[in-house]
Amino acid sequence: MAQVQAKEQRDLPELSLREAAFPAARGGRSLTRRGWLVFAICATLAAVAAAGVGRHDLLKSQGVPQVQEFFAAALHPRLDREFLALTGRASLTTLAYAVLGTVLSLVIGLAAGVLSSQTWWQFGGRGRRRPGALFGWAATRVLLVVPRGIHEVVWGLLFLSIFGLQPIVAVLAIGIPFGAVTAKVFSEILDETAKASYSALITAGSPRPAAVLYGLLPVALSDLLSYSFYRFECAMRSAAVLGLVGAGGLGFELRLSLQALRYAEIWTLLYALVALSAAADLWSSAVRSRRRTPRRRASRGAGSPAGQRRDRVLTGSVALAVGLLGFSLWWVRPGISVLWARRTWELIGQLVTASRPRLGPAGLAGLLQSSAATLAMSMIAIVVAFLSGLLLTFPAANLSQPARTGARMARAARLVVVLATRGLLVLLRAIPAPVWALLFLFVLFPGILPGALALGVYTAGVLGRLMAETAENLDTRPLRALRAHGASGLQVFCYGIVPPTMPRFVAYGLYRWEVTIRETVVVGVVGAGGLGLVLDQQLASFDYGGAVTTLLALMALTVVVDFTSAAIRRSLR
Amino acid sequence: MSTDAAFELAGAVVQYGPVRALSGIDLTIRSGERVAIIGPSGAGKSSVIGLLNGTLMPSRGSVLVLGIDTAAASARRLRQVQSRLGTIHQQFDLVEQLRVVHNVNAGKLGRWPLWKAVLSLLRPRELHDARLALHRVGIGDKLYARTGDLSGGEQQRVAIARVLVQRPSAILADEPIASLDPARGRDIIGLMHEISQESGITLLVSLHDVEAALDRFERVVGLRRGRIAFDGPPHRIHSEQIEELYALESKQTGA
Repeated sequence: MAQVQAKEQRDLPELSLREAAFPAARGGRSLTRRGWLVFAICATLAAVAAAGVGRHDLLKSQGVPQVQEFFAAALHPRLDREFLALTGRASLTTLAYAVLGTVLSLVIGLAAGVLSSQTWWQFGGRGRRRPGALFGWAATRVLLVVPRGIHEVVWGLLFLSIFGLQPIVAVLAIGIPFGAVTAKVFSEILDETAKASYSALITAGSPRPAAVLYGLLPVALSDLLSYSFYRFECAMRSAAVLGLVGAGGLGFELRLSLQALRYAEIWTLLYALVALSAAADLWSSAVRSRRRTPRRRASRGAGSPAGQRRDRVLTGSVALAVGLLGFSLWWVRPGISVLWARRTWELIGQLVTASRPRLGPAGLAGLLQSSAATLAMSMIAIVVAFLSGLLLTFPAANLSQPARTGARMARAARLVVVLATRGLLVLLRAIPAPVWALLFLFVLFPGILPGALALGVYTAGVLGRLMAETAENLDTRPLRALRAHGASGLQVFCYGIVPPTMPRFVAYGLYRWEVTIRETVVVGVVGAGGLGLVLDQQLASFDYGGAVTTLLALMALTVVVDFTSAAIRRSLR
Repeated sequence: MSTDAAFELAGAVVQYGPVRALSGIDLTIRSGERVAIIGPSGAGKSSVIGLLNGTLMPSRGSVLVLGIDTAAASARRLRQVQSRLGTIHQQFDLVEQLRVVHNVNAGKLGRWPLWKAVLSLLRPRELHDARLALHRVGIGDKLYARTGDLSGGEQQRVAIARVLVQRPSAILADEPIASLDPARGRDIIGLMHEISQESGITLLVSLHDVEAALDRFERVVGLRRGRIAFDGPPHRIHSEQIEELYALESKQTGA
């Protein structure tokens, strides 16, 4: 999920109100759009058919009371001292994994980010181009594609089979793919940064590393820092999910309690998980919002007091981060020596020789079938997420109301609705998709459907928030104008709110689709079905050749989805 | 040609696609000389500066900087030459996020090993030089100020201090006072002049301000449409030549 969340952050399509409001002005485009709509409906129907809806017995009848019991347990989690201590320790472990993983990813990201930036290789200048610059730049970029394309859970499974149950597994599994994503984003940030001071230093004969240090990084620092904290937020969720596949921490305890059907324990752990990721979110957004405040460029001249004020939250956060790093190292004591142990290299050697891609007993037909199932899973998931997100968005958005509509009571009721839906959205996205999948597996037989619903429910929480924010950030002037013309609340909604927001909603949905196809592997690993399940079984039976084939199929699917999504988004613009 | 030429352009042509920025420039600047280049926008002043500091390569002709042919020199050799040239830009090109002392020390990056540069960011090194340079340019009290908080004139002084610690053989300044008010601009020009005189550093400044050029420099080069229109001491330059230099080209579109 990490990859595309990053993308989401950085280049959300800019759809102006005007473009959205007058789609008919460009006839060709609107026809293309209608084509995509028909295509989407047909594809969804096909996916639903593939999921076996209406054909098989999908529901486990004995599972329904289990689910009831599960949700009933939400109100009385296990809170005795012993279990709370265990939850606390597990939470600290998950936190430590997230911190160490983030730090590793930042180290990789900074080094590789500088090395894969065009600025480093001096592109586009009028001066002399360095010999081999294009090659060096392309090589670093290509090197980063593979670690980025493999989901952190797959990395986790891979490292588990090499190192066994060691803290280093989670740290590497987060650090490597996140490092590659961070490198990409960092290189983009560096290339977008004003380069005047950097090239001035180069001109004065300074070597490149020193010039980057003095002229480029300080300028880009606030952007880099902000993105680093966002990465930490993502790492928190990944650390929990990695526990589910066996890396330890909260996720691991969660899995144990789930297998033993101890619902009260599950809820304690879930609450801890929610608290942990909510804290990470809050911290990250507190840091990031510092940056969004307008720069003080205008108030140059008299030394402004803002200079001192600016630093407090940031310095505090950086100090806290350093403290957390120290604590994490002490808490999990990642045994780095295992990295150069003989045994490790033997295993890696075996792994490499055994991993020539080959088809399993199911053959090509089996591979294609699993791929199709995975694709169907992602499509149903995104449709479920989009529709339920849409349904929850408008109650969740605190849309500006005309000043004097309704009594105080009505406004209070509205506030309750807003808070309740927001709470629901938080809950939906706080529980990781694989946990949702394990829950759905109580009532559904393994296959496309439980995976799709799990991903759909989780993504609905994410999409709902994004959509609500979009709706709240709408330009209110047209809405006021509509009201001034005497439009009712519902009319304002239909005329003023839906048209400008819908293209963005669709764009968000498509981005999340790209994320979802990558996430299918996670719900698959816990048993929902599709390529993820195949991969898990292959890795468990040391069939590395088969696993590589599955990974290749997954990457191919990712590419197909990315291209389709990009094509649809182009037609929106 | 005297052997102590700091810069030598011979038939230098600079071509950007179809646009010819410089069409055959011959210019020799002896070391220790103080020269102003004037001319309208688009005359090619920045291109001359670019050729002289090695950021721009001539399409034709040759460029000798401190005796080195920039087009033929290896990257390492070019960097060695560049570290002996101090360039000052119109937009100062300072890192506003850094403290003044680091921006001044940035002038030494060409000589410092990387570890020293890294450590200096944590705890400034060779503080004495930086303090001296800032005193010289008249803002000794701003050592630890955030560069972005300084005024335009102060920032330009920081840029000069950076060049000072670089201990260059020549200073190239590309419209250094274009974003300052006239009084502050004169101050800066005066300062650069003094510095050049004190230590015999060659000084080449491109200017919009004709008065400042004629007042303070012993040699003024007029540039128009990529060619040298005149070149000589101020008292030999007539006001008609100046007017001609800046005359609008009504028959031609685009400058």
